[in-house]
Amino acid sequence: MRPAAAAPAFFTVALLAVMAAPALGQHEGHDMHEMHGMTMEGGWRMVPMDPNMPMLPGLAEAVPVVGAFLPGMGMDPSMLPAARPSEVVEMGDGDTLAISVSMVRRTIEGHEMVMYGYNGQYPGPLIQAPKDATLVVQVTNEIQTPTTIHWHGIRLENRFDGVPGVTQDAIEQGESFTYEVHVPDAGMFWYHPHVREDVQQDLGLFGNLHVTSPDPEYYGPAHREEVFVLDDILMDDQGPLPWGDSAPTHALMGRFGNVMMVNGETDHRLTVRRGEVVRFFLTNVANTRTFNLTFGGARAKIVASDIGRYEREAWVPSVVIAPAERYVVDVRFDEPGEVAIANTIQAINHFRGVFYPHVDTLSMVTVTEERAEASVSEAFETLREHEAVQTEIDDFRQWFGREPDHELETAVRVRDLHNSIMLSMEADTLYFPPIEWNDGMPMMNWLSTGEQVTWILRDRATGAENEDIDWRFRVGDVVKIRIFNDPDSFHPMNHPIHVHGQRFLVLSVDGVESDNLVWKDTAIAPVGSTMDLLVEMSNPGEWMIHCHIAEHLSAGMMFGFTVEP
Amino acid sequence: MTSRVFLILALAVAPIPLPAAGLAATEPVHASTAAICTVTSGPEYYAFPLAATDNIPGTGFARGRAEIAVPAQSPFPIALAADGSYVYDVQVAIDNMRAPRSGTLVAWVTTPDLDRVERIGSLGETLRASGAVSWNKFIVVVTLESGDDPEAATWSGPIVFRGMSRSGAMHTMVGHGALQQENCTSYGYGG
Repeated sequence: MRPAAAAPAFFTVALLAVMAAPALGQHEGHDMHEMHGMTMEGGWRMVPMDPNMPMLPGLAEAVPVVGAFLPGMGMDPSMLPAARPSEVVEMGDGDTLAISVSMVRRTIEGHEMVMYGYNGQYPGPLIQAPKDATLVVQVTNEIQTPTTIHWHGIRLENRFDGVPGVTQDAIEQGESFTYEVHVPDAGMFWYHPHVREDVQQDLGLFGNLHVTSPDPEYYGPAHREEVFVLDDILMDDQGPLPWGDSAPTHALMGRFGNVMMVNGETDHRLTVRRGEVVRFFLTNVANTRTFNLTFGGARAKIVASDIGRYEREAWVPSVVIAPAERYVVDVRFDEPGEVAIANTIQAINHFRGVFYPHVDTLSMVTVTEERAEASVSEAFETLREHEAVQTEIDDFRQWFGREPDHELETAVRVRDLHNSIMLSMEADTLYFPPIEWNDGMPMMNWLSTGEQVTWILRDRATGAENEDIDWRFRVGDVVKIRIFNDPDSFHPMNHPIHVHGQRFLVLSVDGVESDNLVWKDTAIAPVGSTMDLLVEMSNPGEWMIHCHIAEHLSAGMMFGFTVEP
Repeated sequence: MTSRVFLILALAVAPIPLPAAGLAATEPVHASTAAICTVTSGPEYYAFPLAATDNIPGTGFARGRAEIAVPAQSPFPIALAADGSYVYDVQVAIDNMRAPRSGTLVAWVTTPDLDRVERIGSLGETLRASGAVSWNKFIVVVTLESGDDPEAATWSGPIVFRGMSRSGAMHTMVGHGALQQENCTSYGYGG
């Protein structure tokens, strides 16, 4: 240790040690299990924690500085209609769909609760439409809080992008807004609110928009297609933990759920035949959790991502999918029996300072003895090259080697956090993982709110931060943006960066060039990494770039940019 | 400084003592004649130094460094093994030192418990080696081997450099700091 650092470090440790004493009595007198569900000041309930994890001193009775919010507070859920599973809506060019945003009754893990739904469904309707169609969607807001719909990844007309205060006024309760959604790209997209995503999206407001290609061989052969919407929700034995009313809780790491869901179900199951090739369309709608999806040893190949196919298909041991990303992956189930599709991670126990393996089963697949049609199974062995994708990307290779046009770096600023949190965080800054797979500090995370934490995207050239950044481009510009996820901050974390209204390529991460490109709208920047994006400015308007961790977005991590016609 | 230079020159012309394993030692290179290891790929944050053990002479001015990067063939900005562990390309570099006259410098990765070892490769004349690792915490070890056996399960020569991955800095808070009075046994520590 350098002599200059010795004194403050000693002071920190000593102060923490002194502060520990009173809390230990509280801890031993209040077993964590007993505290679970206990109503606290302001209607809060203690955040669920591993009972083996001790509480930091002074935090036993602490609650977030914002008020607690639950939808339909005091309302009898039985008065609401039960939510229905998502229904497929086939739409053609010019067709109209009415979407109602309303409260619904959901039952999760045996708990009946008030949540939100698009047309009373979870997830919202799965809209299927052909490439180049224009869809008309009339949205009516029937929940108490304003909302909008953002058509994530769609390069649509700017005024329908769903950003309140930028492209439209938020839709107040009882009001409507009509979106015209032109879909120029094939792929799996999704829609969600752009108002307090940490609450509204977490409560069930999301759905997929599947844009189909006119090319019947756009994807390779598969026996069937399955849409998997991956999500989690934070609950205790009374239902969902309240959200922050004026600002989000969990502003440091985002709100990790402790109940995993596929398509809103906690016990999702599939039955397939031996040798069956299943094409999974994956969308991560969780507030902050990055999933590492494994397929129980079944062979998997990655085919496509946010906005189209990879240059070539590739075998993968798992699929790493950050919030808001989409992946298309083909999986062949060869062995009869039960196969778990799982989130397989090496979680971190900060208290013990260790990684530990953790597996959450998301879906159980029963593989029957009956054999699936052989030709499709055999075709799975071929990794297809997509010349059309490569040719399209070739037009952009002239810009790959250029110096960045803009450079962003990340930061976080905190104020008025509890002393225990400040001291603990400052003492525990020797290592941050590239990706936070789990909430290893649930109490500290819960107590950090958007009023105390500001997440920052900073323009390195000007020093401007978040909404003070003013980037201007013209249609046709091809722009290289370098993003450095600075590890030298109070609490660095991975950030899934989303660019509205345009598409981009991830050219390199830490100087290692990608050898298999795909068009994206969201890409995760691991801690410490430097990521080069090449953005095609093809769509005029006022757009946003932001972190898609819902709590980070609410805590400021966003800015606008203009693309002139 | 003058005495250090003299010492280096003296070492360069003097008979070089052999390490315990009976291997020829390495020759030092003056600091001004070789570049210090620089990051060529991978995030600076996760790179880590390799410290000399002084088990063999000629390493007093040497600098070692391990850099880790996501493999280029990963379709994601990170790469993971089936159990969720990170998969990295590892580059090992030693500077300010010449390759040994006899024997071979070989880089390895091992777990903190030393219960698993994998060979990265021989450092060769350039004192560079690259390989892969799929553990979240690991130690990079450079040893001086009598031969260059790609099939070797572990090292047999003396350790010349070693360094712990950045994740090794993550340590338990049990029994100290804010939690010094916690009951360690309830968390599986001590007795």
